[in-house]
Amino acid sequence: MDAEAAATQLQDPDGFNMKRLVTWVCSIGIWFLPLIWVDPTTYMVLTVAGVAFGMLLFMVASGMTVIFGLMDILNLAHGALFALGAYTGGYWVLNLLEKWGWVEYGTVMQSIWSLVLAILTGAAAGALLGIIIERVIIRGVYGDHLKQIMITMGVLYVMTEVTKIFWGANPEVVLVPMTFQGSYDIFDVIVGKFRIAAIVIGVLMFAGIQVVLLKTKIGLIVRAGVENREAVQTSGYNINRIFTGVFTAGGALAGIGGTMWCVFQQQVYPDIGLENIIFAMIVVVIGGLGSVTGSFLGALVVGLSFNYVAFLLPKLALGVNILIMVVVLIIRPWGLMGEKQGD
Amino acid sequence: MGHDLNPVQQQRLVEQKTRFSRPSFLVQVALVLLLLMVPFNPSFRVMDAAAKIMLFTVVVASYDLILGYTGLLSFAHAMFFGIGAYSVALICYHSGTPQWYHLFLATGASLILSVFLALVLAFFSLRTKAIFFAMLSLALADFFHLLGITWSDLTLGEDGVTFNLPGIFNMNWAGVRFLDIHFSARMMIYYFILLVSVILFLCLVRFVRSPVGRVLKSIRDNEQRSTALGYKTFRYQLLSIVFGSSLASLGGILYAMWLGFVDPDSALGVFSMVDYLLMVIIGGLGTLYGSIIGVAFFITTQAWLPDLLKGIAALLPPSEIIARIAERWMAFLGLLFIVAIMVFPKGVVGTIRERLSIRKGAGRVKRT
Repeated sequence: MDAEAAATQLQDPDGFNMKRLVTWVCSIGIWFLPLIWVDPTTYMVLTVAGVAFGMLLFMVASGMTVIFGLMDILNLAHGALFALGAYTGGYWVLNLLEKWGWVEYGTVMQSIWSLVLAILTGAAAGALLGIIIERVIIRGVYGDHLKQIMITMGVLYVMTEVTKIFWGANPEVVLVPMTFQGSYDIFDVIVGKFRIAAIVIGVLMFAGIQVVLLKTKIGLIVRAGVENREAVQTSGYNINRIFTGVFTAGGALAGIGGTMWCVFQQQVYPDIGLENIIFAMIVVVIGGLGSVTGSFLGALVVGLSFNYVAFLLPKLALGVNILIMVVVLIIRPWGLMGEKQGD
Repeated sequence: MGHDLNPVQQQRLVEQKTRFSRPSFLVQVALVLLLLMVPFNPSFRVMDAAAKIMLFTVVVASYDLILGYTGLLSFAHAMFFGIGAYSVALICYHSGTPQWYHLFLATGASLILSVFLALVLAFFSLRTKAIFFAMLSLALADFFHLLGITWSDLTLGEDGVTFNLPGIFNMNWAGVRFLDIHFSARMMIYYFILLVSVILFLCLVRFVRSPVGRVLKSIRDNEQRSTALGYKTFRYQLLSIVFGSSLASLGGILYAMWLGFVDPDSALGVFSMVDYLLMVIIGGLGTLYGSIIGVAFFITTQAWLPDLLKGIAALLPPSEIIARIAERWMAFLGLLFIVAIMVFPKGVVGTIRERLSIRKGAGRVKRT
C-alpha cells in the first residue's frame, strides 16, 4: 500500500490520472452489472428500492458515525438508542394517534403530521437516553477504547432486557400512515410511497449534518474540539458540555433512524437494536470510521448490493454485507472515505 | 549454578523448585478433589452447575488470553464456542447412530474451521486498527448466528438439535457398578469434562507463562516498544487468537456433550459475549485463575438468581410491572457488568494481587 500511495503522490495532482479514472469508471460501472441478468424495468425497481434501503441504513449509521468521528467513541449503545426510538416513536406514538383515526385511515395532512410527530418523539427519546448514557456511563471511560466498547455493549444488553419489561418480548406490528401505504407506478416501475419518503428524509438528514458541521459556528467549535481539546477550552468553551451535546445529537439521529426503520419494516421487536448495530457498523467500516460522507456512500453501496443480490441469489443475501466489508477492507483497509492512519 | 542465567530464568528456577509446596498448588489439588466428589451429591442441579463451571472456565480463560493477555476485544468467542458445539451436535445427529470416530471427526472439523476463521478474522482486521477487530468479529459472529437460525436443512433452525453420544456417554448406557457405586453415563460425561478441562486449563497456564506469553504481555502493554525490540507483533497476536479460539471451540464441544442439545441462541448468540465479558471482568483481566472465580460466580448466580428474584417479588405487593422485572433476571447481570467495569475493573484476583504486591513492596518482580 505504501508504494501505491507514493506513486500517487509522485504524479501531478491536476494532471490526467489514469488510475483514478479507471477506479471511478469501475466503481460506477459495477452498479450496471445486474443488467446482464435482469430486464431494465426490474432493474429500476430494484435500484429505487436499494437507494431507499441505503437511505434507511444511513439513518441507522449516521448517529454512530458522528459520535465516532467527533468523539472517538465506538458507541454500541447506539443500538439501544435506536430501539428506544423505534418503540416510542414508531410503536407508541403511532398507536396513540391511531386512536384519533390519524394513521391508518387519516387524510394526507394527518398522515404527514403523524409521521413527523413519530420522528420527533423518537428523536427526543433517543436524545434523552443519549444524555443519560453520556453523563452517567461514558464519562467514566473516556479515552479507553476497550472499556468503551465493553460498557456500551453492556448498555445495549441491559436496554434490550428493559425493552422486554415495558413492551414484552414478542414482535409488535407498527402502523404505516395512510399516505405512505401502497406504491406509485411510473412507466411500470413500481415505487413504494414510503421508500420515497425515506429517500427524502435520508438526503435531508445527510445535508443537515453536513451543514451543521461545516457551516455553523457550533460545528466549527466541535471540529476544533476534536483536533485540540485544550485549545478550545482555553478559548472559553466548555468542552464537556459540547461533547454531551454531540452525544445527544447522535442519540437523536439514532432515534430518527429507529422510527423510520420500524415503520419501513412494519414491525418492532426487542432485538432490533442488536440487529441494526451490526448493519450500522458494517456501513461505518465500509465508509471509513468517522466520515459522514463515507457512511452515506457506504450505506448506498450496502443497500443497492443487498437488493440486487437478494433478487439474483436469495441464498447469498445474508452474507453479502460481510462480503462487501471484507472486499473493501482488502482494497482500502481504512474504508472508502476514511483517512489512512497508523495505530 | 545460576551464574550465567538471566533474571527470568532465575525466577523460573525458583518457581520450579517450589512448585509443589506453594499454597496455590494445594488449593488447586483441593479444588480438583472437590470436583471429583460432586457427582456423589444427590442434587442434579449442583452437578450441572459444577460441570458448567468447569467447561466455561476453559472458554473464559481462553477469552482472557485474547482480551487480558493480548489486549484484543473479540466478539467472536461465542461463535467459536458455537462452532464446537454445533460440530458435535450435527455430526452425531446426522450420523444416526454415532460411533467413537464421529467424536474425533467433530473435534477435527471444529478445530479446522475455528483456526481458519480465526486466521481470516485476524488477517482482515489487525492490518489497520485494533478497533476493527472488535467490529469485524461482531459482524462475523452475528452472521454465524443468523446462519444457525436460517440454514434449517442442516441446523434444524431455532428448534435446536437434540442428539445422542456414542458408547459410555450414551444416556441409554446401563452404567457400571464399581466399589458399590453406580456410575451412569451422565457421570462418565462429567468426569470426561473434568479431565479435559483440567488439561486444557493447564495448557493455557503453560502458554501464558511461556516466552510467547511474555511477549504477548509486552505487546499488550506497549506495542511500539515490542516492535522496536524486534518482535513481529502480528505473528504473536495471530498465534494468541488462533490458540484462544481453538480452545473456545473445544469448550463448545464439552458443552454440547453435557447438554445433549444445542440451539442457536444459547450456543451462537452474540449477547452471550456479555456473559463472557462479565465473567472475565469479575475474575480479573489478565489473571487466568480469575476466570475460575468469575465463572463460578456467574454460573451460581445464573442458576439461583431467577428463584431469588421470584422470592423477592412474592414479598412485594403484587403488580404486573414487578412480576415482569423479576422475570428479566438477565438485566440485573447486565447492570452488574456495567457497574463492575466502572468501579471494580481489576476483578477479584487482580485486586488481591495488587494488595499482595503492595504488602511485599514494589521492589519484587510481579509474578503472573
